[in-house]
Amino acid sequence: MTEPRLEGEQSVDLQTMQPPGVTVTLQNIVSTSNLCCKLDLKVIAQQARNAEYNPKRFAAVIMRIKEPRTTALIFASGKTVCTGAKSEEQSLLASRKYARIIQKLGFDEFKVHNIVGTCDVQFPIRLEGLACSHNHFCSYEPEIFPGLIYRMREPKTVLLIFVSGKVILTGSKSKADILRAFQQIYPVLAEFRKAPLPASAQPYTSKNGKDGF
Amino acid sequence: MTTFELYRRSTIGMCLTETLDEMVSNGTLSPELAIQVLVQFDKSMTEALEAQVKSKVAIKGHLHTYRFCDNVWTFILQDAQFKNEECQEHVGKVKIVACDSKLLNQ
Repeated sequence: MTEPRLEGEQSVDLQTMQPPGVTVTLQNIVSTSNLCCKLDLKVIAQQARNAEYNPKRFAAVIMRIKEPRTTALIFASGKTVCTGAKSEEQSLLASRKYARIIQKLGFDEFKVHNIVGTCDVQFPIRLEGLACSHNHFCSYEPEIFPGLIYRMREPKTVLLIFVSGKVILTGSKSKADILRAFQQIYPVLAEFRKAPLPASAQPYTSKNGKDGF
Repeated sequence: MTTFELYRRSTIGMCLTETLDEMVSNGTLSPELAIQVLVQFDKSMTEALEAQVKSKVAIKGHLHTYRFCDNVWTFILQDAQFKNEECQEHVGKVKIVACDSKLLNQ
């Protein structure tokens, strides 16, 4: 694997040892719910505001609300998908609003499917080192995609780790899982923190981190 | 060839419809002929707008609601500015109904 950037190209101050007061920010919640009855999509599209229905292209009504700012896919079966909320509570609230719009009873089975979170550890990371050391979990091909793909087994999460120190976490079913995944990856990222300059560069150490995950 | 009937909702279209209805009511015109007139109106409006109208207007405003159903877009704009080379007009609320012209030739 090539070593593209070892020279201190980034102007990050590595002297200050930043405590991990790093916060994970949830970006998007995808959830589904079942309104438990068949829906007449044409009627919904004709009467509801901010709705799109093009059955030739997609068999659902696409509806949006401003608060919480979300988009819903509403199917004739009564099942709906709600995307765009920034928290689980907001996703639930939005789903309820859509259900109210459609005026159906029996709001059943609200389930969060996927949570996406982002954070910034505030230091650059040696992706090549990390990929070598945790190769069972990592997929890193900088020519195809600049981020390292880390597939964590427990909790089942996929993390996209970038040289900049920014991390995207996805695949979790709850905020708690995202936070746990982040807590587990943080020490690994710190271990592969990039050294400041070639002259004072730390020698590359390959620690066997396989037992942890 | 299908026609878009949306131009019948314009002032001129409404006047035509009213006139034709009057003529049908007092027996001077048969209903079938009245319908033929309206269909011709649809065609003529479409042709005229396509071939004879060159001016363009830019519309900018706050999108209050939108809808897409049966390949018809309906927008309600608030505080809209209608601008062309000559003049500018401010409108508090406007409804825009738009049909896809590609569907005419089906």
